[in-house]
Amino acid sequence: MRKAFVIVSTLLLASFVLQFVFAAVGGFTKPAGDGAYALHNVNGMAVIPVLTLLTTLFAALAKAPGRLIGLAILPLGLVVVQALIAALANASTDAAGASTPLGLTIAGLHALNGIIAVHVVVSVHQAARKLAHPVEPA
Amino acid sequence: MTAGSLLATDLVIAVLAAAGWLGGGAASAARRRPLALGLAAFALLATLARAITITALARAGWWFAGEKVLIAAPLSLAAVVVAGPRLLRAPGDIRSVAVPLLFAGYAESGALLVTVLHGYPASAGAGLLAVAGVVAATAVSWRFLGARPPRTVSRAALVVAVAALLGGTGLAVAPDATPGVPHDHGYRDARTADEPTRRFTLTAGTATVSVSGRDVPAWAFNAQVPGPELTATVGDVLEVTLRNRDIARGVTLHWHGYDVPNSQDGVPGVTQAAVLPGQEFVYRFRADQAGTYWYHTHAVSDVGVRMGLYGVLVVRPAPVTGVDVTVPVHTLAGLPLPAPRAEPVEAGMPVRLRLINTDSTTHRYALAGTPFRVAAIDGSDLQGPTSLVDTAVLIPAGGRYDLVFTAPATPVALFVDGRAVYSTKPVSATTGAWPVLDPLTYGVNSPVPWSRFDREFTLVLDRGLDLHGLLPRYAHTVNGAADPDIPPQVVRLGDIVKFTIVNRSQIVHPWHLHGHHVLVLSRNGKPATGSRLWLDSFDVRPGDVWEVAFRADNPGTWANHCHNLAHADAGMTLHLMYS
Repeated sequence: MRKAFVIVSTLLLASFVLQFVFAAVGGFTKPAGDGAYALHNVNGMAVIPVLTLLTTLFAALAKAPGRLIGLAILPLGLVVVQALIAALANASTDAAGASTPLGLTIAGLHALNGIIAVHVVVSVHQAARKLAHPVEPA
Repeated sequence: MTAGSLLATDLVIAVLAAAGWLGGGAASAARRRPLALGLAAFALLATLARAITITALARAGWWFAGEKVLIAAPLSLAAVVVAGPRLLRAPGDIRSVAVPLLFAGYAESGALLVTVLHGYPASAGAGLLAVAGVVAATAVSWRFLGARPPRTVSRAALVVAVAALLGGTGLAVAPDATPGVPHDHGYRDARTADEPTRRFTLTAGTATVSVSGRDVPAWAFNAQVPGPELTATVGDVLEVTLRNRDIARGVTLHWHGYDVPNSQDGVPGVTQAAVLPGQEFVYRFRADQAGTYWYHTHAVSDVGVRMGLYGVLVVRPAPVTGVDVTVPVHTLAGLPLPAPRAEPVEAGMPVRLRLINTDSTTHRYALAGTPFRVAAIDGSDLQGPTSLVDTAVLIPAGGRYDLVFTAPATPVALFVDGRAVYSTKPVSATTGAWPVLDPLTYGVNSPVPWSRFDREFTLVLDRGLDLHGLLPRYAHTVNGAADPDIPPQVVRLGDIVKFTIVNRSQIVHPWHLHGHHVLVLSRNGKPATGSRLWLDSFDVRPGDVWEVAFRADNPGTWANHCHNLAHADAGMTLHLMYS
């Protein structure tokens, strides 16, 4: 179980790395159509939540301490907040649909929240490895 | 504060409250006493602040507050009642308040999810599922935090969670007995029998077109984007032959804003079958409304129109005098159309600019260098339009404005979102700060021609989880349902019908009823005081409440949908039917 916990937390970390890659893909797609962020959307709304739940499940099955289980489920809440930030940023436009300073400020929080989430996932991953190998070989 | 910003503020406060309670619970589980107390106090404040935003929303309209009053308020109350007293007599071991704080967090999160995933109208099913989730999450946390709950408590929690889960799921998945719209059985052919006086052929096919010096792939009528401009004079009988060369998913022609007989309306599956590659369809109707209109495919309309299957339809009352320019604005592969055009115009000439928005979002048009009047909106002339200077107009998706002016000797230019699209000579002007015309207060008012309404419908626009299809989707909804599960609106011939359209989402919805023009009665409770506005496309902004009315005088089955075509595809389409 501890091994499985390490594996899913590695997959979760990989999906977070990809999420940043897909954000760059969306940002640099020319012309910027509606579909530019499709990969980012699917990965963020489907793959990451499922892997987060699996990580939490395996953390519990691996009898990880409560703090670690709590840390493992945390990205799920942050992902919900991510989606809400994106929706609010997209909604904060002027009447003709152009961005406003307020909307762009909210959009900036999307990046900050993403950084926080990836730090949480790195911590979970490291804790999972420590749990699998309690004594480091000399 | 507008209802739109109240909705956004309430959402933000709800997220902060949920995060505060959950964070407080986690901190107390980790025995971080000051942090736990601080976060819990913050969450308590946020939860109480929601009482203010929810009350304000309820005053703006029950549609905005329904599920918040019926589901979020009781859950928040439970959160405060359970967590509040435990905090006041904060025990020596802070860890003992972890479960109450987490319970409060789950309650706030559950309420938030009901608003975001379900919305209007509040339903017992959604409420019960939220309760089941909150109880289950609390029970699991209780076990994990070590202190086993007392037997009676855990049994009671189990019973409540299972009962709420079963009840909620039962209510949520129970099929509604919605009378469906009749699809695909025999389309009534009621095209005019008169001999056509204007004949056109439009052949739809894939093409490569040049935009701003770049070759982009497109779907085009007669290999051009926009398609050929169709013109007629009032009294003409138009015959348009539509052929499909190679658009695999089919095409049709919908005459946007033109109130044709139902069989000519071009809605696949409702008024005709989509025209597949190699097939053709002949449209014939009498041009009896003058004005600026456009046509577009209604088969796979989101992709089809975006890729270029659209064109202009102009019906003039008499042959052209003066300068008459159409400006159909579109975004093709991210590039703006039409190409900028400059032509000198002799001073003193009457000029009419027919502005058309064929995109799915609003555009801002600004005419610099001359006073002008808005002569018509959506093809209907305005009464007593006054002269405007340095004023912008916002045209909704699908909408049209006709601007008229007498050409001055000095240059004139039309800017769309800051880009010069038409000019008589180069002009540099910054139009971004200009005020925007409110058509509801423009022109000379005349009373509403009806004193009573035979039928009244309310359409509440929102987003929500739609579980009725093969795959779950986060749909754009009307009254909590998504196409094809939205019950049709049934009217009788001759009825005066009133629509109340409410937008409780975070995004603008350009509303478009086929086959009829609606008269604007009021917006956000304020009656329209300008010229009578007969619209076919109007922007219902977040938090807006529009009241519009029309006479049911064109029998058939009519699409009634959001003209942000991606939203229409994602469920925001219903039908108006005659009994």
